[in-house]
Amino acid sequence: MAEDLKREKTRADFVDKIWGVFTSLKLVITLLLVLSVLSVIGTVIEQNKPLQEYYRFFRPETVDLFGRLGLLDMYHSWWFTACLALLALNIIACTMERYPFIMRGMKKQGAVLDEKLEAGLTNLAKIKYSLPAETVESRVTAIAGKNFPARPVVTEAENARHFFYEKGKYTRLAFFLTHLSVLVIFIGAIAGSLFGFKGYVNINEGELISSVQARQGENKGLNFSVKCNSFNVDFYPNGAPKDYRSDLSVIRDGKEVIRKTIRVNDPLSYEGITFYQSSYGMLPDTVTFEIRGKDDVPLGNVSAPFGKRVDIPGGDTRIEVADYRERFNLSDGSEAGPVVGVNLYSQGAPPSGIWISETRPEMNRYGAYSFEVKGVKLRKYTGLQVNKDPGVWVVWTGCIMLVAGIMMAFFMSHKKFWIRIGKDKKGRVEVTAGGMANKNKHAFASEVDRMVGSFKEVSS
Amino acid sequence: MTNSLLFGISIFVYFFSMVLYVSYLAFRSETLGKVATFTLLAGVIIETAAISLRWYESYQMGIGRAPLTNLYESLVFFAWTIAIVYLLMERKFGIKTTGAFVTPFPFIIMAYASMNPNEIQPLVPALQSNWLISHVVTCFVGYAAFAVSFGVSFLYLFKVKAENRPAKNPGGLLNYLPASDLLDEVGYKTIAIGFPLLTIGIITGAFWANVAWGTYWSWDPKETWSLIVWLIYAAYLHARITKGWRGKKAAALSIVGFSATIFCYLGVNLLLSGLHSYGG
Ligand code: HEM
Repeated sequence: MAEDLKREKTRADFVDKIWGVFTSLKLVITLLLVLSVLSVIGTVIEQNKPLQEYYRFFRPETVDLFGRLGLLDMYHSWWFTACLALLALNIIACTMERYPFIMRGMKKQGAVLDEKLEAGLTNLAKIKYSLPAETVESRVTAIAGKNFPARPVVTEAENARHFFYEKGKYTRLAFFLTHLSVLVIFIGAIAGSLFGFKGYVNINEGELISSVQARQGENKGLNFSVKCNSFNVDFYPNGAPKDYRSDLSVIRDGKEVIRKTIRVNDPLSYEGITFYQSSYGMLPDTVTFEIRGKDDVPLGNVSAPFGKRVDIPGGDTRIEVADYRERFNLSDGSEAGPVVGVNLYSQGAPPSGIWISETRPEMNRYGAYSFEVKGVKLRKYTGLQVNKDPGVWVVWTGCIMLVAGIMMAFFMSHKKFWIRIGKDKKGRVEVTAGGMANKNKHAFASEVDRMVGSFKEVSS
Repeated sequence: MTNSLLFGISIFVYFFSMVLYVSYLAFRSETLGKVATFTLLAGVIIETAAISLRWYESYQMGIGRAPLTNLYESLVFFAWTIAIVYLLMERKFGIKTTGAFVTPFPFIIMAYASMNPNEIQPLVPALQSNWLISHVVTCFVGYAAFAVSFGVSFLYLFKVKAENRPAKNPGGLLNYLPASDLLDEVGYKTIAIGFPLLTIGIITGAFWANVAWGTYWSWDPKETWSLIVWLIYAAYLHARITKGWRGKKAAALSIVGFSATIFCYLGVNLLLSGLHSYGG
C-alpha cells in the first residue's frame, strides 16, 4: 500500500517535472536561440543545391557527411522539424498553464474600494471638499468618464458611493493571440505543404496548356486550360526591363471564363491555383538556312520548322531546329549574338547538337557543311510559376493575430480605477481615488496623477 | 542632382552633432548638450529635405518612386530613422549622455552610404509594388530602434560595472551616466518598439513575396537572417520576463541581436551572396 502510494507520488513528481520543463521560460529562450543558430548554419551552407556545387567548396567526405546529417536540406530535416514541434508543444503547455491566471484577471472583482484594496493601490489620493456630495460626484465622475469611456459600476456600501472604472480588460487575451498565432502559422504552413503544390509552365504565344510541371518532377493535370493570348516586355531607356505582361485566358469546357493581363506582382488566380509571371523566352517558329557543302558548293536554302527534321539537299543528313538564345557567350567570354540550336542527323553517325550563329556566319562551319541564317521567325513564350496553397489564408490569419497580439501586449494594458465618495469624521465630503494596471505601470500612474490633479481643482 | 548636395551637408551636420554629444559627455555643460540636440535635429531636418527632394526628382525624371529601393537609399533612410528614434527617446527619458553612443551611427552610416552609387535608378518589375514601401519602412524603423537599444545596452554594461565597484571617483564620467535601471528600461522600451515593427516588416515581406513569386517563405538567406534577428529578440523579450535574465544577460542579447541585424542588412549581401555568385 505504502509502496503504491510512493510509486504514485514519484510518477506525479515526474509528470510535474516534465510539465515544469515544458512551461519554463528557460526552454523557450533556449529553443528560440537554438533555432536561430541552426538557421545561421542553413545560410552558411547553401541549401538544396546540386551536389556538384558543394564539391567545389568541400571535400567529398565532408559533403557526404553533410548529406547524411541533413545539412543540405536542413529546413526539412527531422531535427529541425523536431525543434519546431518542441516549440509548438512548449507554446501549448504555456498557454494551458497561464489560462486560469488570465481568466481570473479578467473577472470583474472588487467594485467596492475598501481598506484592503486601498492598501494595494499605488497613487492613492484623498481629497476633501466643502461642496455638496452631489456636485462633487457629478464633476468628479465627469472627469473620470473622459479617461474611461465605459460606464462605471456604482455600489452603495459602507456609507459611501463607490465607482469602479475599467478599461482594456480584453488586452489580457493578448497572450493567447500572440502565442496561438504561432501555432496557426504552423498549421497553415503544414496544410500548404500537404494539400498544395508548386510548379511552372511555359506557354507559347497563342497556345494553350492544360497541365504544368510540378517541382517534384511529375506532370500535374489541370481541370481547365490556360491560353497565352500575348506576351510583351517594355524596357526603360537604359535597357532595364520595366514591365512583363502576359494576357492570359482561362478556358473551361471550351469557354473562356476569365481573361486577365498578369504582371510581376499581379498574378491570376482560378480555383485556388495561381499563375505568376516569372520569366519569358523565345523559340523559333521556322528558321531558314542557306547551306553550303564541301568547297563552298551552294546546296540551297532550307526552311526548318521548330522540332521537325528536314533533309539537307544533296546528302543523307537531316537538320532539326531545337533551341534559340538571344545572347550567347562563347567559352572565351565573347558575345556571339543570337544563336539557333540545331541537331544534325546523319546515317550511321550519332546525332550532333550545334549552335549556329545568326550574326557571325564565318563561325558556322561544321564538318562538311557551313550554314548561314537567312531568316528566323520567332515565337515568344511566357514562363509562369504555378502554385496552389490552400494554407496561405491560415498563415495570414496567424500573422494578423500575431501583430494584433504583440501590439496589445506592448502598448495596451488592463486598467482599473476606483473612486469612493464618502464623508470624513468631520462630515466633509471626501473623495478617495486610486488605480492599478497590469502593465506599463509608469504610464498609468501619470494618467491617474493627471486625473487626481483635476479632481483637486474641483474644490477651488 | 541637388539631393546629393543636401545629403552631403547632412553628413557634416551629423558629424558635428556626434562631436557635440561626445564633448557633452566630457565637459557636462548643459549648453553643450542643448546645442548637441539641436544640431542632431538640424541634421534630421536637412536629411528629411534631401529625401523629399530625391523623391521629387525621381518624378521629374519620369521614374516616380519612393526613395527606398537600393543600398544607398536604404542606408540614408536607416541613418535618418536612427536619429529620429534616438531624439524621441532622449525627449522621453532625458538620457542625453547616451547620445555619444548612438549618434556615431547616423554619421558612419551616411558616410558609408556616400561611398555607394547614388543615381536614381528605375525599378525592375519585381520591385514595383506598394508592399515594397511598407516592407522597407517597417523593417528599417525596427532596425533603428534596435540600434538605439544596442547603444543603450552597451552603456548599461559599462554602468553596471561602475556601480558594482566602490566609488573611487564620485565626480567621474561613469557616475554621470543615467542609472543602470533606467538604461535597462530604455534598452527594453526601444526593443518593444522595434520588435512589432520587425514582425510587420517580415510579414509584409512574406506577403509581397507571395504576390510576386507565389511563395511567402523560401528560406533564402535574407529571409532566414531576418527570422534569426526576430528569434533573438523574441528570446530577449522572454528573457526579461524571468527576473534572473534582466540586466546583463538581456543587454548582451540586445547586443547580439543588433549584430545579427547588421549582418542581416549588410553581411548577407556582402558575404553570403558573394559565396552565392561565386558558386553559381
Ligand atoms: C515563437 C514563439 C513565441 C513568440 C513569438 C512569443 C512572443 C511573445 C511576446 C511578443 C510576448 C509579449 C512580451 C511582453 O509582454 O513583454 C510574450 C510574452 C510571454 N511569453 Fe511568449 N512567445 C513565444 C513563445 C513562448 C512560449 C513557448 C512560452 C512558454 C513558456 C512563452 C511564454 C511567455 C510568457 C510567460 C509571457 C509573459 C506574458 C505576460 O507577462 O503577460 N512564450 N511572448
